[in-house]
Amino acid sequence: MRDWQNYLGLPLWVWLFVMPAALAALCLFQREKMGRILRPLWRILDKVYFASGVVAACFMVMILLLIVAQMIARWSGWVFPGSTEYAGYSMAATSFFALAHALTRGAHIRVSILLNINNFFKFWLDGFAMLIAAVTATYFARYAIKTNFMSEMLNDRTQGQDFVPEAVLTFFQMFATAPWNWGTLWANSESGWVYTPMWLPQLPMSIGSILLAIAVWDYLTRLLVNRETSIIGEAVE
Amino acid sequence: MSELYATAIFLFVLFALLGSSVWIGLALMGVAWVGMELFTSRPAGDAMITTIWTGASSWTLTALPLFIWMGEILYRTRLSEDMFRGLVPWMRWLPGGLLHTNIAGCTIFAAVSGSSAATLTTVGKMSIPELRKRGYPEHMIIGTLAGAATLGLMIPPSLTLIVYGVAINESITKLFMAGIIPGLVLAGLFTLYIFGWHFFSKGQRPDPEPHMSFGTMINESKFLIPVLMLVTVVIGSMYMGFATATEAAAVGVIGSLCLAAMQRSLNWGTFSASLMGATRTSAMIALILMGASFLSLAMGFTGLPRALAAWIDEMQLSPVVLIAALTIFYVVLGMFLDGISSVVLTMAIVEPMIRQAGIDVIWFGIFIVVVVEMAQVTPPIGFNLFVLQGMTKHEISYISKTALPMVGLMMLMIVILVAWPELATWLPDNIRKGP
Repeated sequence: MRDWQNYLGLPLWVWLFVMPAALAALCLFQREKMGRILRPLWRILDKVYFASGVVAACFMVMILLLIVAQMIARWSGWVFPGSTEYAGYSMAATSFFALAHALTRGAHIRVSILLNINNFFKFWLDGFAMLIAAVTATYFARYAIKTNFMSEMLNDRTQGQDFVPEAVLTFFQMFATAPWNWGTLWANSESGWVYTPMWLPQLPMSIGSILLAIAVWDYLTRLLVNRETSIIGEAVE
Repeated sequence: MSELYATAIFLFVLFALLGSSVWIGLALMGVAWVGMELFTSRPAGDAMITTIWTGASSWTLTALPLFIWMGEILYRTRLSEDMFRGLVPWMRWLPGGLLHTNIAGCTIFAAVSGSSAATLTTVGKMSIPELRKRGYPEHMIIGTLAGAATLGLMIPPSLTLIVYGVAINESITKLFMAGIIPGLVLAGLFTLYIFGWHFFSKGQRPDPEPHMSFGTMINESKFLIPVLMLVTVVIGSMYMGFATATEAAAVGVIGSLCLAAMQRSLNWGTFSASLMGATRTSAMIALILMGASFLSLAMGFTGLPRALAAWIDEMQLSPVVLIAALTIFYVVLGMFLDGISSVVLTMAIVEPMIRQAGIDVIWFGIFIVVVVEMAQVTPPIGFNLFVLQGMTKHEISYISKTALPMVGLMMLMIVILVAWPELATWLPDNIRKGP
């Protein structure tokens, strides 16, 4: 296991894979107790997933506006530099932010043929599938974050003609800086526009994949506590 | 470990994960990870994110959520009633009567929606009760609807074709244009089938429609005008080269918002419902595409695509035999997977194969759509069957039996496509260049 440095004395993979799996196992054996502990958390998380779905929807509207602006610009002979890049970033943002929300509403598809054999089989197979899915999603999130950090460290910039105001970058950097350094941060920030650094559009990828991983683990615990799936699919679309 | 063992493990994991009902997108990621670990010493995780990020933030893909959104808006309008009313005056004269509203309705709605399920629900929620009321036999109502709704995948805009175009890096506009004529031919085949039913089973005919004056006919058909205008603008702008597929999608969204506003069915509730619904569906497809892009990277390292292409080359298979074999392969795959998944899952392997055999990739896109259409109405897993089961409460087995003649017609369509490939390739070769 290269690439999994220690964190608080334990290898990272223990934190990411073993701990949540242990939590899931607890849910399997201590249904009542874990149910009581986790239920308030579930309520909060449901709101978080929905909120991230709403953010995704906003980015979808953003794609529409960007493309309309680009068309108007083209017809009237103006130039809208980087419009395709901005639309691409919005596309990524709408996909990633909606992943968890889509999961909770049963929008993601699966081959359900073996799930319909009988209820006992369904429970165990569903649990197994969700465990695999949770591990995969966690792996995905872990590397999404790593790539995001690497983009920032290497100061990876866009290949296209898209710019962002430096103030926006500074705003997001505030989250990674201690509050007492915010003054220096803003003092060093220029007021111009710079080529988009890749870490900014990659933020939705990190956030979305973390939420997806949390959502899968979350719904696994719900399955194990409730003994039936909590994913309620809406009308097939 | 020998190459062969590794390949066997890889394929086993693929089927095990898909079969054990892991969500398809995540299952593909998991399989791809296994492939990377087996076949290369590259760091799998970093390669995974680079591939996924490039794919997920691509400009070409932006057509997908917009076309989904457009379909979602129209689905929530009164379009289905309007279309039925507008079509009745024209269909009542034909042999087979109002059954043709199923075909014509699906064809028109397919031209504004990229999904077969949306086409089915939109047309069916009006035509099923109306046709039942008029005494048409149940098996004809359901069968023709199940078959015709698959046109949603073929007639542009088509989500399957967008996904196919993104997977093999071909122009989506070209693929869309390629779908028009075969889509109309297939609709024609369904229509002929209804004619045939009319003449061969006289006992099942319902009473003829009451007389309708010419004035009423014209008056009723005005309900078709908005949707036909929308179709013209969306497809026309692509054909004339005014707009790319994505831009046409944006025009389509705005057009359908206007249409909904004109019908007074646009309010905050329907707007947000359509937006959230579209967000979910597009995230669902995006997750599959993410998994698939990582899988095709891993697939490249396994050497499987190259080996198969070389094998096909060695066998000296004629394209016709290859297409026949692929038809069977996709029909079997389609019994268990939905259309988009089976396209993205196989493209990494099939693309070098068809390029090697000298098959036109645009034509192949249309071929694959017909096969995927068949998969939509064949048991045990057929999406249209589930939707129809929800709408009519019939057994899956009954619905698939009624749809069987349509599957036959789609088979015939493949033969037609092989015999006259120009049906698919002529229009895309003649798109006007933009101003």
